[in-house]
Amino acid sequence: MSETSIRRTVVVTDPQGVHIRTALAITKVVGRGKSEVKLVKQDRRTMATEVLQILSLVVEPGERVEIEAIGPDAAEVADALEPLFAGKFDSAIESGEHA
Amino acid sequence: MQKLQGIAVSPGAVIGEALVMDTEGFRIPRRFVARDAVVDELERFDRAVGAAAVEIDHHREAVSAELGDKYAAIFEAHLQMLQDSRLRGEVEDLIRERHYSPEYAVSHVMRRYAQVFQRLESSSLAERANDIFDIEKRLLRHLLGRRREGIAHLTSPVLVLAHNLTPSETSNLDRRYVRGFVTEVGGPGSHTAIVAEALEIPAVVGTGPFLTDVSGGETVIIDGDQGLVILQPDEETLARYRHEAEEKRILATKLEPLRDLPAETRDGVRVELLGNIEFPYEVDHCIDRGANGVGLYRTEFLYLGADGEPTEEIHYQAYSRVVQAMGGQPVVIRTFDLGADKMPNVPRPEDNKNPCLGLRSIRLALRNLPVFRTQLRAILRASVLGNVHIMFPLVSTLLEFRQAKMVLADVMEDLQEHNLPFNRDVPVGIMVETPAAAMMADRFVEEVDFLSIGTNDLIQYTLAVDRGNRDVVGLYNPVDPAVLKLVAMTIEAADRKGIPVSMCGQMSGSPLYTMLLLGMGLRKFSVTPSAIPEVKNICRHVALPECKAVAERTMTMENARDVKNYLKEEVKKYMEEVPE
Repeated sequence: MSETSIRRTVVVTDPQGVHIRTALAITKVVGRGKSEVKLVKQDRRTMATEVLQILSLVVEPGERVEIEAIGPDAAEVADALEPLFAGKFDSAIESGEHA
Repeated sequence: MQKLQGIAVSPGAVIGEALVMDTEGFRIPRRFVARDAVVDELERFDRAVGAAAVEIDHHREAVSAELGDKYAAIFEAHLQMLQDSRLRGEVEDLIRERHYSPEYAVSHVMRRYAQVFQRLESSSLAERANDIFDIEKRLLRHLLGRRREGIAHLTSPVLVLAHNLTPSETSNLDRRYVRGFVTEVGGPGSHTAIVAEALEIPAVVGTGPFLTDVSGGETVIIDGDQGLVILQPDEETLARYRHEAEEKRILATKLEPLRDLPAETRDGVRVELLGNIEFPYEVDHCIDRGANGVGLYRTEFLYLGADGEPTEEIHYQAYSRVVQAMGGQPVVIRTFDLGADKMPNVPRPEDNKNPCLGLRSIRLALRNLPVFRTQLRAILRASVLGNVHIMFPLVSTLLEFRQAKMVLADVMEDLQEHNLPFNRDVPVGIMVETPAAAMMADRFVEEVDFLSIGTNDLIQYTLAVDRGNRDVVGLYNPVDPAVLKLVAMTIEAADRKGIPVSMCGQMSGSPLYTMLLLGMGLRKFSVTPSAIPEVKNICRHVALPECKAVAERTMTMENARDVKNYLKEEVKKYMEEVPE
């Protein structure tokens, strides 16, 4: 499998911004994949693997976030992350790890 | 060194260790661990994280079983946040590099994360800080174990710094160890101010935000005379305050023998010095200072912080303790002086845009007769135990006074019907604290048994200055000629009629004004008990003709600053110590 590098900008449409549930879902999606994922807001960048760090980016509704993914499934991971910023959660993702 | 200007609400200066109280209770003070204990402390932190994680996981499982995984997600997020590698690294660094105790390191790091959210305007985002506080509290509970309770249990003297203090917070503090208060908000009438004055410890309120700069455990100076709070004082400042404290102690020792001597001028004019009190135990402070009575017994404490309206019995207990302790000496009980917002079970007024000019004190009492009658019944019942006087606050018209007296007469009748003893001739008077009452003093004296000048409100209402407002507090001045004219009118009216007049505001407790007030004809001073020795000292050093000359000269002056400077010079002639 070849390494791909993806950089995608999303606008946060979830009326609550990136909240605790979003952050948890992000870490799960990233945890299941094989790519390294970072989130960037303006000049701040954090690994998308830890809830506290994601929350500390403080992403408010209407703001832009960049998803940076490097790895064999970078595009798939980015695809799976995108709806989370719109507040669309797949409950299978959220509970999957503990099922 | 950092200096903060606030509002001085209780006099004195004190140097001590800071104890920060915030919404979470006591902030963990900055403590250090010994170099060779670092490894052990790191392990202790690790164990606490482990224990907290197990606890959160139990919660998660329980909630998940009951409500489903979706609702348990919050605990899963908490678990993740607790085990965040960066967070752990930051805490461990502080323990390892700076030798912070794990408790302080956790609190320090978590607070930094929380601050990111707290600074946000949007309240829903700011609330996210609560998740972090929740994790912090959990970790601290595991770190401190049973010792958490111990933090509230003070064992050494502290200065309490807080955003604001509620009655329940101050009542949980061990009085023996609290040496001073600072609050970021609040004004002269705030709960903190009242408690500090009662405890006779320095207090400064309304400093504005500063608590983020203090962790607790460091040295702080509270200057309750100047309204200053000094963080990280330098050696020179510390030395100066220590010197002042020493001088004060010497002065207090010098004044001690005055206790059993009368307050009498050199030429033999007798002056009565009474105490202002808020809480029943303060009667002991009055007795210790040789007070001639209680000139103002505030009763607001019975309502503040109470869950419901205090019963007649609660009132009666509070009054009888003080009346009995004072023996046959007068105790002037003032009926409640509060706004509707502070009273339990009283309907909120619809219009409360300007509470100081709104429905409060006697106005509120006359609108809520059952509450008023309960208090009056208790006072009347206590009147047979000693020398009780009744005083109504904030009276501004004769009609109000007559109405209040009618309610009193009605309560008397009621007691008589029930064969309960009371003193039918209990003296009834008013506080003169509105310009209206002062200007009508010549009419009031025809109907009241005594007057008491409440300078704090009189100044506020005369000069249209809220002394809790930092922008205009400079205009608030007891010796503004406008205020002095009203004081003079009141004393003259009482003298002409031959009824007693006293002064019970803060002005009467400042030795700087003693000569002036004596010269204006005042013979009864009701002051905070700790001020009795100093005021007595001045009385015993001066003679009436000198005081009269001072008063005459003062009344020709046109502004407060000139009056103050002049009084300082005059007092200096008789005393080595010039009071501020």
